Amino acid sequence: MSDTFAAGKSVDAVQCDRRQFLRSGTALGLFLVAGTWVALTPAQAREKKFTAQVLTSSQIGACEQLGDALVPGAAVAGIAAYIDSQLAKGTDSLLMARYLGAPPNVQPGFYGAALDSAVSALDAAKGDVESVLDAMGSDSIEGWQGPPASFFSFLLRADALDVVYGTEKGFAELAIPYMAHIRPEERW
Amino acid sequence: MDTQFDTVIVGAGAAGLLMATRLAEAGQNVAVLEAGPERKLNDLVSSQIWARKLKWADTSVAEAGNHAIGHAFNSGSGTGGSAVHHYGVWLRLRENDFSVASDHGVGLDWPIDYDTLRPHYDRVQREIGISGDAEAEIGRPPGDPYPLPPLPVFSQGRVLQKGFEKAGLTAMPVPMAINSQPYQGRRACLYDGWCDAGCPIGALANPLAVWLPRAQAAGITLLHNAKVVRVLRSSTKQSRITGVDYLSGGETHTIKARDIVIAAFTVQSTRILLNSKTDSLPAPGNREDQLGRYLTTHPAATVFGLFEEETLPHQGVTGGQLLCHDHYAEKDQGDAFGSSQWIIANAIKPNDLLGYGTSRPDIRGPALKPWLERAARHLGNMTLVTEDIAQADNRITLSENRDADGVPGVSTIHNLRPETIALWERRVKEGKKLFELAGADEVWNGPRAPMHIMGGTVMGNDESASVTDHMGRVHDTDNLYVAGPSLFPSTGAVNPTFTLSALASRQADHLIRKYS
Repeated sequence: MSDTFAAGKSVDAVQCDRRQFLRSGTALGLFLVAGTWVALTPAQAREKKFTAQVLTSSQIGACEQLGDALVPGAAVAGIAAYIDSQLAKGTDSLLMARYLGAPPNVQPGFYGAALDSAVSALDAAKGDVESVLDAMGSDSIEGWQGPPASFFSFLLRADALDVVYGTEKGFAELAIPYMAHIRPEERW
Repeated sequence: MDTQFDTVIVGAGAAGLLMATRLAEAGQNVAVLEAGPERKLNDLVSSQIWARKLKWADTSVAEAGNHAIGHAFNSGSGTGGSAVHHYGVWLRLRENDFSVASDHGVGLDWPIDYDTLRPHYDRVQREIGISGDAEAEIGRPPGDPYPLPPLPVFSQGRVLQKGFEKAGLTAMPVPMAINSQPYQGRRACLYDGWCDAGCPIGALANPLAVWLPRAQAAGITLLHNAKVVRVLRSSTKQSRITGVDYLSGGETHTIKARDIVIAAFTVQSTRILLNSKTDSLPAPGNREDQLGRYLTTHPAATVFGLFEEETLPHQGVTGGQLLCHDHYAEKDQGDAFGSSQWIIANAIKPNDLLGYGTSRPDIRGPALKPWLERAARHLGNMTLVTEDIAQADNRITLSENRDADGVPGVSTIHNLRPETIALWERRVKEGKKLFELAGADEVWNGPRAPMHIMGGTVMGNDESASVTDHMGRVHDTDNLYVAGPSLFPSTGAVNPTFTLSALASRQADHLIRKYS
């Protein structure tokens, strides 16, 4: 890893190509914003309207709608940016799905198929997120493609818990002392 | 690499680095090949998200069966292996765990008994330090007292202990490979519950803290990102293994040694041996089609509860504060079979697979944050570990799939017997009752989950039902050894790291004496 992308280095905006991005991705959360790769938290990436690398805009919309309904605050915390950046990392993805039969190399297709199904379900339900989540929980959405809807709902909720409560800031919101030995970057 | 080593060890985990340390300190020229990346203590960031880096993450292991083994969660990758993220619960197997086939007619016996391993349990605990109370530990087999006093009990433990007391059961200190006081130059624990992410201060006896410094001081050669794909037989003497082929930097290399030790954790150790089959010879240890069989895992569960009293569940260590073994010796229970233990009052975080937030997918939306806030101060939890029964049809086999390097992957199948499922269900029901007795106003349990992975290259006296002899030497070879939990013929219901370390200690002694 070059000095430019060394973990902990204070950089707000750096120029790099796609290869450098992938090489650096395990250490810093780099997001493409207005043509420039920038080291940001998922929340900052959302605020700055990052350019997604894997997810489509409709998938991002569904991700935020469902994520926020499951864990309020997930959209603003950048759940879509978090998932998109992890999916772009290939084998270095840290999404919890890796523990449950969806290793990193299958995750882009896994999330893409499920989120496409969620987009259709939200359209059919005219945006009634609660009814879609209920139907996902009971695997009763007709035409759902990809991983079982209830399983995907479980994973999306876990991802939302990660971005909202799995950080020092999230612990503080729950009044839990974080007590890190080594403090984590928030730029996953 | 052209050098001829005395011993090549495949895998830099708990067993591999222990053996490397002992052999190098005895003067041997030792090489250790680790498939994963280099890890150092200061890489161990306190975060459940970052902790996922420590675990296996490729598609080479397919899983099936009514109780799949959970390879991605249970295994590790990189220096220290899976022991980097283990929780430090170090119990000795009980004496009756070594003879389940003779005593009960199920599973397999060990080719050794407890007394054979006892000196090595004692030696390893002296070297690394274990905090516990040997006199208070119900069912503990004979052995030296623990070098360190037990870890403290925090409010969660005190709350849950009441349930056990009301039921007439004993909640005793857990023996932990975590320092309650400074020991051998390593610091005492700070009780912040980040064990799953790895302990960078060295209070928990992970291999980076206890073995690696000694092994390096003794001059081992340690290669990372060196993935061993097969062992090599001598062309003149089939029983002689000459070395291993490994992939590094996109190329295949060969390293030669007098003795070869495969210590790559259960699934990968078996995979390497299976992949060593040639056109004319079966894989080492597979003359009787036993390689990969008797795959086991502890069926586990977490019981959760919310209490009026404050529990502050972030305090303590992930492994737990108290232990119940009252029913451990009662293996045969009619329709249910096996030992079991409760590990009580685990330190817990809100997120990740074992987090309390994840345990309640039914709570969402505006109800979630108030619930999490309450859980952060009033939640209790404990972990059930139950015994598995070794079955020949639970096995690891090579698959058609290949990994990114073109190496054949494996398929695993693991099914529980009905009596094991019955035991798990009975214990979970009892555990929920214990929480009610402790005063919980809401109790639930997580799903049945696989904890630890064992078997696949089991040791035994009978070549028709085992892969290695009592020393871990692969039956049809002179100098190929397996180390680690893949040797276990039975599982008991205790965490395996102490036992695999004692076995590795015994194996190291053997490899030193062999040439002295």
